[in-house]
Amino acid sequence: MTPPSRLPPAFRELAAELREAFARWDREPRPWPEARFADLALRSFELQWHTVAPYRAYCEARGASPDTVADWPDIPPVPTAAFRHVDLAVAPRAGGDLRFRTSGTTRGDGERGTHRVVDPELYRASLEATFARLVLGRPARECGPNGPLVLSLIPPFARGSDSSLAWMSDDVAAHLGRPGSRSVAPRGEPDAAEARSSILACAEGRIPVCILGTTLAVDAWTRALEAKADALELPPGSVLMDTGGAKGRPGLQREEVLARVSATLGLGAEAIVNEFGMTELLSQRYGRGSADAGASPPLVAPPWLRTRALDPVTLEPMPEGEAGILCHTDLANAGSAVSVLTEDLGRVRDGVLEWIGRAPGAPPRGCSLATAELLRAGEG
Amino acid sequence: MRAEGGPPASRDPWHLPGLPAAAPLRHFTGTSPGGRGFRVPALDRETARLVADEVRRSALRARRERSTERVIAAVSRAALRLADPGQPDGAAAARELSEEMGWPGSLTAETLAGMRASWTAEALAGVVRRELGGPEPLDGWTTGGVLAAPRRRRASGPPLLLVVHAGNVPGVAVTAAVRGLLVRSGVLCRAPRSEPALLARFARALSEEDSLLGHCLATTWWPEDETEPWDSWVKRSRKVVVYGGSRAVDGVRARLPAHVDLVAYGPRIGIAAILADASLPAAARALARDVCAYDQQGCVSPRLVYAVGRDGDAVGEALAEALERKTSERPPPEPDADTAVSVRSARAEAEFASLGGRPVRLLASGELPTWTVVVGGDPLITEGLPRFVRVHQVEGVRELERTLEPLEGRIQSVGYAGSTGLDDLADMAARLGACRVAPVGTLAWPPPDWLHDGRPQLLPLLAWTERE
Repeated sequence: MTPPSRLPPAFRELAAELREAFARWDREPRPWPEARFADLALRSFELQWHTVAPYRAYCEARGASPDTVADWPDIPPVPTAAFRHVDLAVAPRAGGDLRFRTSGTTRGDGERGTHRVVDPELYRASLEATFARLVLGRPARECGPNGPLVLSLIPPFARGSDSSLAWMSDDVAAHLGRPGSRSVAPRGEPDAAEARSSILACAEGRIPVCILGTTLAVDAWTRALEAKADALELPPGSVLMDTGGAKGRPGLQREEVLARVSATLGLGAEAIVNEFGMTELLSQRYGRGSADAGASPPLVAPPWLRTRALDPVTLEPMPEGEAGILCHTDLANAGSAVSVLTEDLGRVRDGVLEWIGRAPGAPPRGCSLATAELLRAGEG
Repeated sequence: MRAEGGPPASRDPWHLPGLPAAAPLRHFTGTSPGGRGFRVPALDRETARLVADEVRRSALRARRERSTERVIAAVSRAALRLADPGQPDGAAAARELSEEMGWPGSLTAETLAGMRASWTAEALAGVVRRELGGPEPLDGWTTGGVLAAPRRRRASGPPLLLVVHAGNVPGVAVTAAVRGLLVRSGVLCRAPRSEPALLARFARALSEEDSLLGHCLATTWWPEDETEPWDSWVKRSRKVVVYGGSRAVDGVRARLPAHVDLVAYGPRIGIAAILADASLPAAARALARDVCAYDQQGCVSPRLVYAVGRDGDAVGEALAEALERKTSERPPPEPDADTAVSVRSARAEAEFASLGGRPVRLLASGELPTWTVVVGGDPLITEGLPRFVRVHQVEGVRELERTLEPLEGRIQSVGYAGSTGLDDLADMAARLGACRVAPVGTLAWPPPDWLHDGRPQLLPLLAWTERE
């Protein structure tokens, strides 16, 4: 698919360069020189400053412009709240755009943000290279017909979904999985019988399987297997990717899920890969194995995604390895917001992220509360 | 190891008459900005019972052996020792408050001055006089007093009163204990985790002033999910007073047997109205004083400001200027990470709502989360964050009342500046169940006899007996 001409020439040029760089890393996964990352990030910033009026106004209020921002860490990050209020895309709306919506769970008020993706090919190039290398452990070109059978517990994007995870899962199945790869939740809930028969067929042919699912879906599926004493032995080379953690079920421990996956699917901790993704970011991080209680396993990223832990008060960088609020600079976001400030806490050591969790919100202070709580109490 | 007495220490914020000397101490971390750790004894069912029995026995004995006047004198002397920085207890209390709350010395001094005014013998006797007509109904049978009747009556607090503090407004715990002692109850307290030291210091001072009265008060802290001393103390108390948020109040309510009354001081909100004829710079300065005093920890401080019949932007700008000046004089303590993230998030919501074309305006202290004013947006939403004020424009008091109706019964104070429509504003406040209407600049410092949550201070604790 050729990017449509409504895209600004600077973006088209940048996106082509990025796609090529992503593909090169897929072929030869080497770290990027600092200068290359900085150059691409600053060009993304300049493009966004010129084309996204609300972002330019945000930058101007902070005295930041392409003339004053000298290095990529100085790019004013866009708070995730911005996605709820403004369109951050670098080009006017068009039919080929993807519109991903956030889950609305962050603030608990159901208000959802939108990330409009003007160049799905750039997203695809980033996610496929990253998934192939960091989850499947081989270049993307060696996947496809020769790849695993991808079975996704996530409902397909075509079902009217606006979830970036659904789009990504569909894409992984379509481009990195062998024929027959698909979502086994076409009607919303995973079809355990269909998953089971596909896995048994693969086991017979010793074809590796790649399972994709939210942590909650994986937990529910493996609990059901456990209840029926129906353990499945996944063929060698199989892998399971879970994402989302305990979101929606506080208290769910990753160690429990790992143990259940291991007992019911025969996968060791190294074959269970945790994904860290956000609707606001088009690149992902992945981590294998176990983790400290409540935190993620160490999450690695492709060289075009860098994460910094910042002091929540000053936004100055925290010392290496110390917890702070996370700020991601993601070159796959060249078409929207290259730098994103989250409400997540985590630690970064040698570029590897340990995600601690969402900042829980300000603790109650005295008897003076947010009116939302007062109004809720009034309803009760 | 120390069961009673011993040197006062902020790291041992407990006072438990009747506790066996062998009770082991446990360490906890504090939750205030200073976050100092502390040690309190582990109470099991038996030790909790011993403490409750000792406090109850002492309270019943004090009813026989101490007049209310004498109680007032001793309680006042003990409380004033804390509130006077010239005395050793007061100096220690001032140091602890500054450390624990992260306060500047000027705010500590201001707070202690407020406590001094509230805890004089005259102030305490005044509360008894205004609510009961005098101490007589507490000391014996009388036909006089506020409930004057042909038959003789007397009033008593419960032999054991449990007071639970889940808030973090300094000094409230001592005031609540004082009220319990004035109605001649034995008082068992769960101190606020954020500031447990002041109440324990008061209890020790009271012991030194009057050893029997010192045995009428116990205070400590324990984790919410532990069964003791909850079970033992709730079972033995006839009334429970709780200060805190909805979760804390609901949590205590759920523990109570049917025969135990609950007096709950739950969450409320403070608002302010800048009336059309108010001088804006002066009103803004006064508002900034209210906002910065305790960083809006108390529900008396204004969070929502309404420009009544005047330009909301102008009110917001004047308030922003006043907050900037006040913050340079009195910077807030550094926020914890969660609060800083929440302030940033709320600011980003407002800023990008504005950039997205909504009628919202963000005025803030640069990137540092010290003070924030948001003009416009949802006229009822607040965040419960420090030095964070929302300003809205309304045409008049009638529109203001319509706006505030969802908060009926949940408004603590209505501040005002100006006089145009003030009577209408006060009537509106009464209809909405607000507890206090007062000029801006005084909101953070209610008078000693104010109607907290719209209630008298002593009457809710009392039961009356009538003799025919």
